[in-house]
Amino acid sequence: MRQEDWSKLARIMSKRSLWMVHFCTGCGAMEMPPVLTSRYDMERFGMISMATPRQADVLLVTGYLAVKTLKRLVQVYEQMRDPKYVVGFGSCTINGGMYWDSYNTIKDLSKYMPVDIYIAGCMPRPEAIIDAFLKLMDMIDKGEATGWKKYHKYYKQYKRNQKMAFSYRLDEVKDIEEGDGK
Amino acid sequence: MKAMELFSEAKEIKKGRIRIETTKDKVEEMIKKLKNNGYEHFVMLSCIDWIKDGKFELVYHMWSYKYKEHVMISIKINRDGETVPTMSHLFPQIETYEREIHEMFGVEFEGNKRLVSFVLEGWPHMPPMRKDFDTEKFVKEHYYKIPEVKEE
Amino acid sequence: MMKEYELFIGPNHPGATGNMSYRLWAEGDKVKRAETRVGYLHRGFEKLMEKRLWMQNVPLVCRICVPEPDINEAAYSMAVEDLMGWEIPERAKYIRTIILELARISSHLMTVGSIAASLGIYTAAQWGIGDRDYILDIFEEITGGRVYHIYIWPGGVRWDLPKNARELITKVLDYLEKRKPMYDDLILNNKVFIRRAAGVGVVPKDKAIEWGVTGPNLRAAGYKLDFRKLEPYAAYDKIDFEIPHYPKLGEYEVVSDGSDIYTRTAIRMLEIVQSIRIIRQALKDMPEGDVLLKQPQWFAWKVPAGYSYVRVESSKGEFGYFVVSDGGKKPVRVHVRGASYTHGINVMETIAPGLNIADFAPTAFSLDVCPPEIER
Repeated sequence: MRQEDWSKLARIMSKRSLWMVHFCTGCGAMEMPPVLTSRYDMERFGMISMATPRQADVLLVTGYLAVKTLKRLVQVYEQMRDPKYVVGFGSCTINGGMYWDSYNTIKDLSKYMPVDIYIAGCMPRPEAIIDAFLKLMDMIDKGEATGWKKYHKYYKQYKRNQKMAFSYRLDEVKDIEEGDGK
Repeated sequence: MKAMELFSEAKEIKKGRIRIETTKDKVEEMIKKLKNNGYEHFVMLSCIDWIKDGKFELVYHMWSYKYKEHVMISIKINRDGETVPTMSHLFPQIETYEREIHEMFGVEFEGNKRLVSFVLEGWPHMPPMRKDFDTEKFVKEHYYKIPEVKEE
Repeated sequence: MMKEYELFIGPNHPGATGNMSYRLWAEGDKVKRAETRVGYLHRGFEKLMEKRLWMQNVPLVCRICVPEPDINEAAYSMAVEDLMGWEIPERAKYIRTIILELARISSHLMTVGSIAASLGIYTAAQWGIGDRDYILDIFEEITGGRVYHIYIWPGGVRWDLPKNARELITKVLDYLEKRKPMYDDLILNNKVFIRRAAGVGVVPKDKAIEWGVTGPNLRAAGYKLDFRKLEPYAAYDKIDFEIPHYPKLGEYEVVSDGSDIYTRTAIRMLEIVQSIRIIRQALKDMPEGDVLLKQPQWFAWKVPAGYSYVRVESSKGEFGYFVVSDGGKKPVRVHVRGASYTHGINVMETIAPGLNIADFAPTAFSLDVCPPEIER
């Protein structure tokens, strides 16, 4: 078998057994229990929640992120093994949502880690979550969910942005080298 | 109407809500007296920033299950560096409230050994709940200036 | 001689009650010392509220307690009404009671399920969350939202109940009543659960009030205290209901000296029964009429200067709003007292020493610690 065929096979396998990190980062975590349990039952699609990041494929960022959580989230994300996918959940991950002027939440998740798919709304309904996961599976099948490759490629830029957010001070970050991503 | 009998400076602002304005050296005695007279439940400790007067107002809320009365003991301190004696030996949860107010307003509580950071981590700026901290300006200067990741 | 070691629970951990973490110092299997760490959910609500108009704050406040958002709306609205001197229509009071009690049932179902799940009875979590969804369906029918409703607001409620509300609610209540014996068999009459939960995570009765414990946790310690009776709001003063408290556990066996995981779970199950009773009465007695006061233009509200503290009995305990106004268009200060503030930090840190590590998560779940209301 050729290399492409192998990777295609791997994609088909992995899209049907996505495991999700159990990390309630924000209030969107409230709609996860119904999705995971008997009524909407995500296990039909081969998705379950996993406590350890090393065994998980999907990182679901449920809603707004305080800077303190972002630090932990980056650690969790970096512990996950490739290929890994990030789903931004709710309007807070897109532009800050209703916390657009809050001093403690980050506004745009894609500045800190690559996001494969967003779910809009506050908060998204379980049907929307399932729909997003089905779309993600489709993207994996077609080989379009390549956020993790982007993270490798532009690692320096992502690190710079993360450091800028963590330090709460832009003037201190000037000495961080301007990474061009190469 | 128990608190009205205990303290002459008490004022009833509505049914079941009593407000006492006092100074910081009398607070400890008052809380002790209320605690021994049926006001067993310490509700919370709030801080209000009256920037026009240059004062912080600390409000100690206490509730009596027996008399169904809520007492707010209010003291005013200067905004700049005035310290307040801690009350955490009277009710254990005051420790956490003082910790929060120390972080959010920058009030120093003398004798509280646990004034370490509470919800913020490594916050280098002005305490955010102060009125002169402009959160919108901070967000624009901080989060919006972080560049997007450029793809080639 | 065993060596002391440090152990992190959370924030990415199924044993942590939401996005918060505990730092434990343990020796072997025994916890020596615990420290609660919060701040992962801090959004600065109190700062944002000072920047927004009185009316704009209504959609903001419900985000403070995610499992039970309606109590926030109710408490904030009551504080504004208190400062404005408004008396809301009678029908609105009954509708508020129905909504608040439905929210209490939904929150309790989830808590009971989580407590049982943290002790290994995963079926309970599936059931609790599944049954809670039927209540969310009612909310959706009435308010349009599943989780955040923004239905209760200053001056009453936004609109009247739909015509079929009575049938919808009664159907779900009948279903829940039928389900209750199944929950009892699965959880509270289950020998395994009793062995694991009885006498674990005790909040001593003589310290409970001094530590600021409120709500079901206080009633489990043996006090018959409930702010729905002590300071009635909405229509609770016209409704007949009981306050379940230790040692009157009704159909459940008294297996311990109270205020342990078992008693706290039993109290919550009994409160669901009482909530069902309250909703049935409210549906029966609800008068006809308006549901919202005639209000001034929403963006031109000026609230008279003053201090107001209002409290509601949430599913977790006393939930209070301290609102200060200087007569302007925006509040000067809104301070929220979440019940978990004391339960999650001081109480948890004090009762943790001596617990087994395996009992730590059930204890936190049974105190119903909800981190967003701690840090706001």
